[in-house]
Amino acid sequence: MNDVLKIGDQELGSRLFLGTGKFSGTQAMIDAVKASGTELVTVALRRFNRDQAEDDLYGPLSQLEKVRLMPNTSGAMNAKEAVRAAVLGRELSKSPFVKLEIHPNPHHLLPDPIETYEAAIELVKQDFLVLPYIPADPVLAKRLEDIGCAAVMPLGAAIGTGKGLSTAEMIKIIIRDANVPVVVDAGLRSPSEAACALEMGCDAVLVNSAIAAAEDPAAMGAAFKTGVEAGRMARNAGLMPTSEVAVASSPLTSFLSAND
Amino acid sequence: MNKKLPDWLNPEPWLNLEFSPADIERAISADAPNEKTLAALLSPQAADYLEPMARRAQAITRRHFGRTISLYTPLYLSNFCNGGCLYCGLAADRRAKRAVLNEAQLRHEMEAIKNMHFEELVLLTGERMPEADVPYLEQCVAIAAEYIHQVVVEVFPMAEEEYRTLANAGCTGVTLYQETYDPVIYEKMHRWGDKRDFHARIDAPDRALSGGMRAIGIGALLGLADPRFDMLCVYRHAKYLLKKYWQAGVSISFPRIRPQMGGFEPDFPVDEKMLAQYIFAMRICLPETPLLLSTREPRRVRDGMAGLGISKMSIASKTTVGGYSDDAEESTEQFEISDERNIPEFCDMLRAKGLEPVFKNWDAAYREPAHYAKA
Repeated sequence: MNDVLKIGDQELGSRLFLGTGKFSGTQAMIDAVKASGTELVTVALRRFNRDQAEDDLYGPLSQLEKVRLMPNTSGAMNAKEAVRAAVLGRELSKSPFVKLEIHPNPHHLLPDPIETYEAAIELVKQDFLVLPYIPADPVLAKRLEDIGCAAVMPLGAAIGTGKGLSTAEMIKIIIRDANVPVVVDAGLRSPSEAACALEMGCDAVLVNSAIAAAEDPAAMGAAFKTGVEAGRMARNAGLMPTSEVAVASSPLTSFLSAND
Repeated sequence: MNKKLPDWLNPEPWLNLEFSPADIERAISADAPNEKTLAALLSPQAADYLEPMARRAQAITRRHFGRTISLYTPLYLSNFCNGGCLYCGLAADRRAKRAVLNEAQLRHEMEAIKNMHFEELVLLTGERMPEADVPYLEQCVAIAAEYIHQVVVEVFPMAEEEYRTLANAGCTGVTLYQETYDPVIYEKMHRWGDKRDFHARIDAPDRALSGGMRAIGIGALLGLADPRFDMLCVYRHAKYLLKKYWQAGVSISFPRIRPQMGGFEPDFPVDEKMLAQYIFAMRICLPETPLLLSTREPRRVRDGMAGLGISKMSIASKTTVGGYSDDAEESTEQFEISDERNIPEFCDMLRAKGLEPVFKNWDAAYREPAHYAKA
């Protein structure tokens, strides 16, 4: 079955996106990216380092075949800084994607919905495919869709916490109402959580800490690949409905239509 | 001098609590740590729990900072000083060889630092002097910002408007240690000069952030006073800043007294195990806060602590004026460096431990003064 994910005019075969900022080295990052089967990785402008190849995340990632880059605006405190970073990121990477993230508090890294909305308006005007990282707020998600964002990326939990799908109830509403892809970004710890997100109806997940901080990042990348695929397959297969009461496999009222 | 700590800083309520083994075990796994948690982890009884504390500190560090260590280096612009700090090799009554970098020398130093691939630099001076006052610093910050992405200052406390001048020149952060939060010992240690004003120093981080700095680094100089008192104060100071300036970066350093001209010996020596315990405790209680360790520490301690709470380290440091190029005049160092490894050696060590050295973790695209909503 051809089950591609469309974001704007771009098509992706994998529903697992990777973050790149927490690996123990370039090779570990590349191995995990390859093992995960991802076709879209995000890299922070602040980790682009054209002056020192050893310290540069962009260079090695840009060499990978079948992997597209999505510069992100991590480090921006407000809309103005995020727009500036996005423009610079596009100049350097030639990528149409931007992961718009504005988390003015550098400690918990939770997104600022007001600045994110302001920046998204400007970036859409400038023809970016904008994927904003947002609180799991169904109204904000619709507002961002309305102004032309290519997808929305609500958080499952705060970055790096590994608390999983803490915002599941809100994410379900976002999925129900969205006309653009919904990508759970941040908080996932395990492939089973990624599978859960896809089963719920998320179009993709974005993972960094869970893979980078695993004992074996490449193996965990592969595990997430399988988890995402399983979750998506299950979604497409149609999960049986849940019920508050036991449902007998033999109908209880069959005797009513039976002949004596 | 008013010898009373403000209520928001005072650690007394937690300082003399008794802790059972169960209290300490609970503190190690606390999911909502507070002052009492920290007091338990700083307590002498917790010294028997270094291994479980280290495990928790490593797990938290790895989750939040990944397998990375951010790197920076200091550059002394001037060692002229009229201060009377008992513990400092550059105090006014030391027969120190004084120097200050001129523009040409600073550019040579910056070229050398840039060639070493650093993208974060801390510019240092002594106390406020005619040779190195705010206009001089403004010029130095602007020059340094031409070369590298992130420029921080570790200098004398200033007025808010003076901090704003530096922020407008491209400075992104201020490092300012209170040295000790014990007002009585503070007065004894700082024999004369502006630095005797304990409260003006306590309030300086507020002025720096109000003046547009994006980040503030705080800490206590371990060895001057009861370290548990000081660590609790550092924690409370950090929490206060994090709440009031919620968009600001707050980091904590753990400097210990090092041998220096003047021969000061600490009254409250902090050994390596105590230092490790305090760092683990701080990491458990402030999971998201960058914790720094400098080249004051011996290589064995730095190697061991990387990633165990510590997320940022200096390397290839000089504590003489200039020192990265061969263009600066000879000058006295502020204190002795302990870890003198060069960058490749240090990075090899980090990589061998499965940690990625990160030279650039910020971008000049974001370089503008911060504005915080009025608290």
